[in-house]
Amino acid sequence: MRLGRLASTIAIHIRGKDLPTYTPSVDMGAFVIVVNAEKIAVTGKKRYQKLYRRHSGRPGGMKVETFDQLQQRIPERIVEHAVRGMLPKGRLGRRLFTKLKVYKGPEHPHAAQKPVPLPISDKRIMLDK
Amino acid sequence: MNKDKIFKLAKGFRGRAKNCIRVARERVEKALQYAYRDRRNKKRDMRGLWIQRINAGTRIHGVKYGQFMHGLNTENIQLNRKVLSEIAMHEPYSFKALVDVAKNVFQKQCKPKQLLVQEKTVV
Repeated sequence: MRLGRLASTIAIHIRGKDLPTYTPSVDMGAFVIVVNAEKIAVTGKKRYQKLYRRHSGRPGGMKVETFDQLQQRIPERIVEHAVRGMLPKGRLGRRLFTKLKVYKGPEHPHAAQKPVPLPISDKRIMLDK
Repeated sequence: MNKDKIFKLAKGFRGRAKNCIRVARERVEKALQYAYRDRRNKKRDMRGLWIQRINAGTRIHGVKYGQFMHGLNTENIQLNRKVLSEIAMHEPYSFKALVDVAKNVFQKQCKPKQLLVQEKTVV
């Protein structure tokens, strides 16, 4: 599974753009659970060259990590970072981001909500498979 | 007299703009300008929203918005986007019938190409 293609489909479902009742001012999308987050892939040399930056607010406080370092440390953050960039920024966007649940490994604690497998209709993902 | 009208229009404004005439007068002028502009913008925004909704509704059935509208235009169905989006939201089976009409147009258009290929192989 490629990172950007997966994140794009997730963002569409969280926002609700696949439903004909789409309303941009209302939170009417679906919750999305992502498992096996440590198996996400990127092409080319991105695994060792893609940088994730964060700043602590203090001078000289910029911290930089590469993709594989972050994947070993906190793999969920990679998917969260990608999807957050694809959701709208603002109050509603932050609320939508809380609908994303990412887990390392194949287990998740939401079996009580009876999740349905996500229907993927993106040609690029289907061609990869 | 004018002040009363201004304060009536300034209800719900933030801070001093609802209470002090000098600030309120500016804010009310701006509010009326925005209202003028947005009465025209609202028509554009609503059309975009209808198109997004129709797109979502057709993609459920595997057809994209552009192909769908092309199919409807070829069949001379004059339903506008507002009505189509309402049908997509509230009448899913009727909407599926419309999507099938658009799909048929594409199948009819694809057939002539297949005949050309067959002629070449015969020769």
